[in-house]
Amino acid sequence: MTNYPLPVKQLLDGELTLAELPPELRAAGEEALGLVASVDRTPVTLSPTLDARVMAAVRHRATSRARRVWRWFATPRDLELRLRVRPWAAWASGLAAAAGVALLLTRPPARVPAGAVAARVATPNVVFVRFVLYAPGAKRVAVAGTFNQWDQTAAPLVPAGTGGVWSTTLALPVGQHQYAFVVDGRRWVADPAAPAVDDGFGRRNSVVAVTAQGARTL
Amino acid sequence: MRALRLVLIVALGAASPRGSAAQDAAARMDGRVPADVARAVQAIAEGARARGLPVEPLIQKAIEGSAKGVPAERVVEAVRVLAGRLDEAQGALREAGIATPGADAVEGGAYALTAGLTASQVRELVRLSQPSYDPALTLHVAATLTALGVPPEQSLQVMERRIQARQGANELLDLPNEVEVGMARGATPAEATREVEETESQQGVTSTSAAPPPPNRPARANPHKP
Amino acid sequence: MDSRNGTPDEAVVRAVLAGDVELYAVLVERYRDRYARYAARMLGSRDAAEDAVQDALVRAFDRLADCREPAKFAGWLFLILRNRCFAERRRNQRQGRPLEYADEAVAGPERSDGAVERRESVQAVEHALGQLTPEQREAFVLKHVEGLSYDEIAGLTGATVASLKMRMHRAYDRLRDLLKEHES
Repeated sequence: MTNYPLPVKQLLDGELTLAELPPELRAAGEEALGLVASVDRTPVTLSPTLDARVMAAVRHRATSRARRVWRWFATPRDLELRLRVRPWAAWASGLAAAAGVALLLTRPPARVPAGAVAARVATPNVVFVRFVLYAPGAKRVAVAGTFNQWDQTAAPLVPAGTGGVWSTTLALPVGQHQYAFVVDGRRWVADPAAPAVDDGFGRRNSVVAVTAQGARTL
Repeated sequence: MRALRLVLIVALGAASPRGSAAQDAAARMDGRVPADVARAVQAIAEGARARGLPVEPLIQKAIEGSAKGVPAERVVEAVRVLAGRLDEAQGALREAGIATPGADAVEGGAYALTAGLTASQVRELVRLSQPSYDPALTLHVAATLTALGVPPEQSLQVMERRIQARQGANELLDLPNEVEVGMARGATPAEATREVEETESQQGVTSTSAAPPPPNRPARANPHKP
Repeated sequence: MDSRNGTPDEAVVRAVLAGDVELYAVLVERYRDRYARYAARMLGSRDAAEDAVQDALVRAFDRLADCREPAKFAGWLFLILRNRCFAERRRNQRQGRPLEYADEAVAGPERSDGAVERRESVQAVEHALGQLTPEQREAFVLKHVEGLSYDEIAGLTGATVASLKMRMHRAYDRLRDLLKEHES
């Protein structure tokens, strides 16, 4: 593997002329120039329909921008539905322990395991999301968030059996939502399995992103 | 003719009554927010709107505080703090080179600040994101990582690697999920993030020899010859 | 050429941002072919180039509010296209697809002056170009196909002139080796 001598490279770069090369390098210089001259410089023209296709996409975006649907999740992808349960943590006050479980969708495989709950796409802009809370000893549980104006009467959870598991299914619009569970009408509990942000009032909210493919952590 | 038409559009925009937007906000808070809180929030929202900031998050925050039974002064204070964060986010976006940041980006920036990133980290991330990535998206990802418990510097670092490796938006959006998978196995957020980074470099996904273009270098006018 | 096409990029960008979406067609028409050759060389075929240019133009619209200097729309669009080309190249590499150059010269119709030898050597060089790293190929294309100076390339891509020269010189050597292999 022999490299071109530096002066030949400088010739190719346009920093030297053939005449300026030492005589013993002129042949290599011509060979190199020939190589570079072989490159196809024919201009490329694209199909005349390209303009129409671009403008069609542009017009579509201009109208959907008004709805501020989360365009990041526009590409359909394979889904795996997964229910994650965190071991519940006892609260310092010794009150009924609670552990939040929010339904999360991650990437492939696409097969839905038997018995898993589903986040079903109702329409492209609304998705059914199931909320589950483990709160034995609680008398009332609700979920409140940006999707229902934080109204704790709007989305009560229902006990599933007697094991202390509460759940509900809500139809949520696409976008990012903050939420928290409300236990017995007074205790606001964030989902320990979800990302949490300061709510500005000394507590924390949970965050979930609802996309056209389901619910996910952002 | 077209220049004249543009001027007309702009003038109309400025003259349209702000009253209707204020009425919307009042209607939203009616019955959910005590009158004195609503009045104070309206004032804050007016100021925010005048500075070109999105107002929706402020109304939401007032409704949230009232629903949670938080005392009036605390609700107003939280709304004020949020308005300040939106302002700070807008400033950071401008400093990062976005002349007119969209509402999504400003809200993303405020979310990032609330999650624990500093204004200069927001600025840095936005600079890094240009021109290929929507800053609203990258800010949301960084904020969510931080909200999961990943130290802010580390959140930025792992995102920077993917951005410099020119990964797609989906690869960025997946980061929080990937970290959560590690956490579900018992790792701390920081450990889980390190695992994600290590797997990546093993697979050689990150960029090799090319130095990425410095994001804040101005793009020169294209000198391509005709 | 109607008066709209004489309008500077900056004015068109601002008008589109103000809501006149249809005016974006001016920019599309203005730039659709300017980078076509670069994209074709980077991706190996006209079809791939067309997809990349289309995507870049749509993406530029999506992100128009983030264009820092509307007067420099051209360079900004180029960066978007460039990133798109690199991303596609990376995707192909991950999927194990080498850069394939179409059998005909990338630019298009069969040359009627048909010096078979010339056509073969063009194809050989194109094939060799496809074996360079994307960065090397880009440097080579910008300099020897698009005819830009090192300073101009540095300004477009953000690389330093020194690193560009290094890349280019490696590219020259690599091309020479590949073509020698091809001959034997």
